[in-house]
Amino acid sequence: MDIGETQPVPAVRPSPRAQPARTAGTGPSDVVIQARDLTKTFGTESAVRELNLDVPRGTIFGLIGPSGCGKTTTVRLMTGVLLPTSGQIQVLGVSPRHFSGQTRRQLGYMPQQFVLYPNLSVWENLNFSASLYGLGFNRGRRLKELLEFVELYPHRNKLARAVSGGMQRRLALAAALTHDPSMLFLDEPTAGIDPVLRRKFWTYFQNLKARGRTLVITTQYVGEAEFCDQVGVMAGGRLLVVDTPNGLRWRAFGGEMVDLQAAQPVDPITLADLHALPYVARVQFLNDRTVRLIVSDAGTVVPALVEWAKLRNWPIRSVEKYMPPLDDAFVELVKAVPNDD
Amino acid sequence: MMTRLLHAPIRASAFLGKEIFSILRQPRLILTLALGPFLILALFGLGFRNNGKPFRALFVAPTSSPLAQQVQAFGSSLGPQLIFLGITEDEAAARLRLQRGEADLVIVVAPDALTAVRSGQQAVLTVYHNELDPIQAGYVDYASQIYTAEVNRRVVVAIVAAVQRQALDVQSQLAAAQGSAQGVQTALHAGDVKAARQHQAELTQNMSAVELGLGASLGLLNGVEQGLGQPAADGQSPALLTLLTQIRQGTQSLNGIPDTPGSNSVQEQTAGNVAHSIWQLNGSLAQFTSIPPEVLVSPFRSLAIAVSGATLRVTDFYAPAVLALLLQHLAVTFGALSMVGERQTGTVELFRVSPVTPAEVLIGKYASYMLFGGLVSALLVLLLRFVLGVPMLGNWFNLVGVIALELFASLSVGFVISLLAQSDSQAVQFAMLALLAGVLFSGFFIALYYFIPAVRVISYLLPVTYGVQLLQSVMLRGAAPSPSLMAGLLVIGLLLFIVAWFQTAWLMARR
Repeated sequence: MDIGETQPVPAVRPSPRAQPARTAGTGPSDVVIQARDLTKTFGTESAVRELNLDVPRGTIFGLIGPSGCGKTTTVRLMTGVLLPTSGQIQVLGVSPRHFSGQTRRQLGYMPQQFVLYPNLSVWENLNFSASLYGLGFNRGRRLKELLEFVELYPHRNKLARAVSGGMQRRLALAAALTHDPSMLFLDEPTAGIDPVLRRKFWTYFQNLKARGRTLVITTQYVGEAEFCDQVGVMAGGRLLVVDTPNGLRWRAFGGEMVDLQAAQPVDPITLADLHALPYVARVQFLNDRTVRLIVSDAGTVVPALVEWAKLRNWPIRSVEKYMPPLDDAFVELVKAVPNDD
Repeated sequence: MMTRLLHAPIRASAFLGKEIFSILRQPRLILTLALGPFLILALFGLGFRNNGKPFRALFVAPTSSPLAQQVQAFGSSLGPQLIFLGITEDEAAARLRLQRGEADLVIVVAPDALTAVRSGQQAVLTVYHNELDPIQAGYVDYASQIYTAEVNRRVVVAIVAAVQRQALDVQSQLAAAQGSAQGVQTALHAGDVKAARQHQAELTQNMSAVELGLGASLGLLNGVEQGLGQPAADGQSPALLTLLTQIRQGTQSLNGIPDTPGSNSVQEQTAGNVAHSIWQLNGSLAQFTSIPPEVLVSPFRSLAIAVSGATLRVTDFYAPAVLALLLQHLAVTFGALSMVGERQTGTVELFRVSPVTPAEVLIGKYASYMLFGGLVSALLVLLLRFVLGVPMLGNWFNLVGVIALELFASLSVGFVISLLAQSDSQAVQFAMLALLAGVLFSGFFIALYYFIPAVRVISYLLPVTYGVQLLQSVMLRGAAPSPSLMAGLLVIGLLLFIVAWFQTAWLMARR
């Protein structure tokens, strides 16, 4: 961090309520998925409880949470595979119960499990999926592009049962994209995919978003939520919070983080002075020379800290914003949830 | 708009292509389905013997009695289906051999057969067997009756032969009587009353002997004529009776030949008539003695001629039934596994999200299986026709129509099974039950009239029942398919298609 000018520093703000959350600048007409008190029970087991959310058009909405937390059930409720036990949900302004054929043609769905045909080749499976959505018989070029994108074109003649699990996931993704849907529901699309291809997938998802497509993506790779516009954190069938990735961090840790490394060991007096600063909510002692400060806005706090150290003639090596992994934020958020089962 | 109209057939084609590709991935399946039944049928044709099981028969009879010779003669000559093992007096030992499997039949001849017959009772041939199979046991019973009838026939043939030998003696006496009658006529014509009276006395004597010897032959001939429909009077043959009466009356009227020569023209005429009647009677007897005794005992024999014009081998008869059974089994199995497979792979989840409708799913699948079943049928029919030489007397379009309808109805059965079954193995079990029911109740092996009407209802719930009758009719009779049977297949197919449609809609419904 270069030492710059001092800027006014905001005080630490309270955590914003995020339910139902929307991306800034979107109005109700731009909301393509709207859930209110959505509940799904199987017998006595509640898979989804009183879920409320709004997903704006042209965004990537991520659902993260531990295994069995209700992500897949939520996606199934959105796609109409399941009907809610109570509450309401609308997708593209229609209840999934009343989806027309035209509405369905706008949906792309990649289930969590591989549900294509093991006895068909990669190409035949993709062709089947294209026919399922009524694509004309001049679909060859489209299918080829998709297979090239998921790097399966050289394997197009292999039987689906003969390719790896990762390849099957890629095939399932390509199958969900054949008809170029305006809404995509992808249930753990990157599970079993190598990191390089995962990054490629997310780039593609962002390209789709840039073309106005809306994507709902579940993932167990919490770090992938970084690529989402909004992230819903689920646990125990409840949607704990919906926010942007940074918003999640803010909620998890009570503010943004700044790591300050001193040139000499931090003495207790300095530590107390740091803690007393109005824009510092909390101080974590990392080692004898490094402390982590929880602040309201790292962007304004960093130059203020530099100025503060200069005035005290306290030599520091660096001051920089620290971006904790979303996994840490996720763990903090889930830990904070009271277990009401 | 046109594009949207094309969506439905395109979506249905997804299943058509998918199923065809899936099947083509299994060349062994295709070979099994097409060549398997053909090879089995060919082997059946080569290996089947259209004969009942030959029985190794051990006879129990008193070896010292004359009956033993007869038993041995009969036992050795009743045809290849009865293998004569020998005669023993020890019934217990014979039955022990039966239990050990060293003999198939033990036939106990009543030792007092002659006594029984003389006392007006039938002598019993007791036949012991060790068959468990009720059909074989029935066959033993049937064969026993046939063989007993044959024995009885041979006994009667022997009796008739004896009567015919007796009739030969009568013929010579008749010739003498004829000579006497002619002698009377000649003497009267010559006015030799004395000689006429002498010939008349000879005639009376000869005719008495004839009447004594003629009784059995006359009775037998009379019986044959009556049996063949000749009207009888007073239990006697009218022609023979008339002749005999004429001879008898003529002979009596010649008793009173007057002494005056020249006044005997009536007697002369009568003697001529008697001679002529005796000649006629002798002719009838000659005819009787020339008839083989086997013909007299069994004047009728049967000659069965098929009006279809085809001479069918056993393989030919079973070929259409095998084809019908295979069609049902193929279609039921494919149908039964179809939706279970979708449910197990989880593709139904994709269908629920996609715009595909239950009708499109079913139509696509029906089309693919109909196409595949049609190809297998075509291959099998060609093999049956041109390799095994099974006749195809009917119209090929009719054949195609019957096959298509049976496939359609069987697929509907399969789809209903598929939607009831929870797993592959359950679906296969149901399909096997349908096969078993098809084998037992369709008329494939056991003709339908053997079943009570309530069970025949089950028969007519099976497409194969219609298929067997229709294919046999088209292929072997060259007839047009029965409209009622075709309608039956259509009704089964449509009704179950509607059931399958509802079931598919339920399966694809969101929950």
